[in-house]
Amino acid sequence: MEQGQKIRGADAVIKVLAAHGVTTVFGYPGGAIMPIYDALYGAPVEHLLSRHEQGAAFAAVGYARASGKTGVCFATSGPGATNLVTSLADALLDSVPLVAITGQVSTAVIGTDAFQEIDVLGMSLSCTKHSFMVTDVNELIPTLYRAFEIAASGRPGPVLVDIPKDIQIALLDYKTPLLAISPEPQASEQQIEAAKVLLSEAKKPMLYVGGGVGMAGAVDQLRGFIDVTGVPSVATLKGLGSIPHDDAGYLGMLGMHGGKAANIAVQECDLLIVVGARFDDRVTGRLATFAEHAKVLHLDIDVAELGKLRRPDVAIAGDLRQILPAIAQSLEIAPWQAEVASLKANHQWNYERPGELIFAPKMLNRLANKLPEDSVIACDVGQHQMWVAQHMWFRRPEDHLSSAGLGTMGFGLPAAIGAKVARPDACVVAVSGDGSFMMNVQELTTIKRRQIPLKILLIDNQKLGMVKQWQQLFFEERFSETDLSGNPDFVTMASAFDIPGRTITQGDEVEQALDEMLNATGPFLLHVRIDDAHNVWPLVPPGACNRDMMDEMEKQT
Amino acid sequence: MIYNLALTLVQQPEVLERVLRVTRHRGFKITELGMQLDANGDTKLDMVVESERALEQLSHQLNKLIDVTECKVVSTKQLTQTANA
Repeated sequence: MEQGQKIRGADAVIKVLAAHGVTTVFGYPGGAIMPIYDALYGAPVEHLLSRHEQGAAFAAVGYARASGKTGVCFATSGPGATNLVTSLADALLDSVPLVAITGQVSTAVIGTDAFQEIDVLGMSLSCTKHSFMVTDVNELIPTLYRAFEIAASGRPGPVLVDIPKDIQIALLDYKTPLLAISPEPQASEQQIEAAKVLLSEAKKPMLYVGGGVGMAGAVDQLRGFIDVTGVPSVATLKGLGSIPHDDAGYLGMLGMHGGKAANIAVQECDLLIVVGARFDDRVTGRLATFAEHAKVLHLDIDVAELGKLRRPDVAIAGDLRQILPAIAQSLEIAPWQAEVASLKANHQWNYERPGELIFAPKMLNRLANKLPEDSVIACDVGQHQMWVAQHMWFRRPEDHLSSAGLGTMGFGLPAAIGAKVARPDACVVAVSGDGSFMMNVQELTTIKRRQIPLKILLIDNQKLGMVKQWQQLFFEERFSETDLSGNPDFVTMASAFDIPGRTITQGDEVEQALDEMLNATGPFLLHVRIDDAHNVWPLVPPGACNRDMMDEMEKQT
Repeated sequence: MIYNLALTLVQQPEVLERVLRVTRHRGFKITELGMQLDANGDTKLDMVVESERALEQLSHQLNKLIDVTECKVVSTKQLTQTANA
């Protein structure tokens, strides 16, 4: 970096991004961030223009989750910043490293209700890991470096930096700051010993694997641990892809829409090994009865998760890449492995359905088997999301992007855009539902503008399906506002964005249509009409024990 | 339970808001609060909070805040009567 030459704050922002290896930012310009967009003009950092700040931030989330790098998004003050809130909250609940940079009105008019002024720092407190407002240009560069460090360290998360316009145009000397790195928790020898004792005493140990494994870059260490110990396993929504789907002891997803074998095995186990997971209510069902006879060994980078919902017998805060190999040992658990194998064999998915219509779980299973090795699925939220989790399989956690903690409809399309930017050689498919798709449908313009060759699999039951399912089961079939039959003609709509597509309605069209979508050289929308009678099974009713799963009860109409 | 906490904070205009927000959201009621800025750039915050929840539900979350440098438990005592009785 050249020393002694004054540059604008806005130019410094772009230089800090380049220094952090950021090649693409996602955003939307506006008045209070114009100097930064001016600095971006002709700079080596590429900018992907979204059509709504929520879409920009979700693209940054998709970029981060598919690549493991920190995502960056830009928005202007006021409405630009408020539009980021949902995506920041999503990144907070799913621990995604994100740096959001917002323009702010000039410091002289902050607090005067100026045009497009809102207290962004105040707004950010509940939806970010940390946030800054820069009020001194000399603090700008150190603050941005801190933001990147905080976003990616420990348990990752979103960091917002609010930069008033006068700071963006003020001049400064560019100096690379010296940063103190936050210390990470370290496992002690006593903890490792205690964990090994728990493991060796267990007759029925079970791994409960969450998103923390992928975030920690500990997938290989986890697989090594399974190889050494032979411990059977289940995964959370974010943990999918961490364990090879064909591993003998792997039972898939647990929880509200988990597989029967997975939930039963967890209820039966005598030691639950929790790795980068946090006892979310969608996982545990009624907490008091979750794995109630099991001791708990909890491993996580975030001390605050240890004992938050379930008191562990041994807890270790630290880097999973170090802890997992340190506690791995061979175990004498053959009878339990046999019990798990029999549970697995007795609870296979059944894809046979009478009739000519399309059965979405079967279609998604076919899609998983057809995908090339380098693939990313970004899904939205609702029934299709659970079908993706149940019936598709993933090679790595970064191949499956799903809004898990916040459950944000509208996540899939922009996240897929970000993933395709991060991994241009990957086959990226956005799997969406007719409800979710319309929540960030403006991002079709982003695809058109850049001719981003991602595929959209739109599963359409003309319903807000998951809410409809609950109305059917728990609200006496009073279908309040869940009929979406006023949907647009999706293929016609896609064609307005130069995205070719087709609609299928019959089971015998699926095979050829999936091939057509995957083989298309550019973007493609496959619109799949399904029977609205299909629901997501099994299901643990709210407040019930995970053992009490409801089975398929299709609506007879 | 009643918990008496002594926090050391980095002096930032919004640091008090951060602490108050986390305390409220995690289910603790503040019954006493005292704050002063000290000469070496720290903010000292003493607060008494009440909750049925275990202290770690709050202290761990406060410790996660970037601008909280220390969260000390000065004393803990049983609530004499149950709230919301």
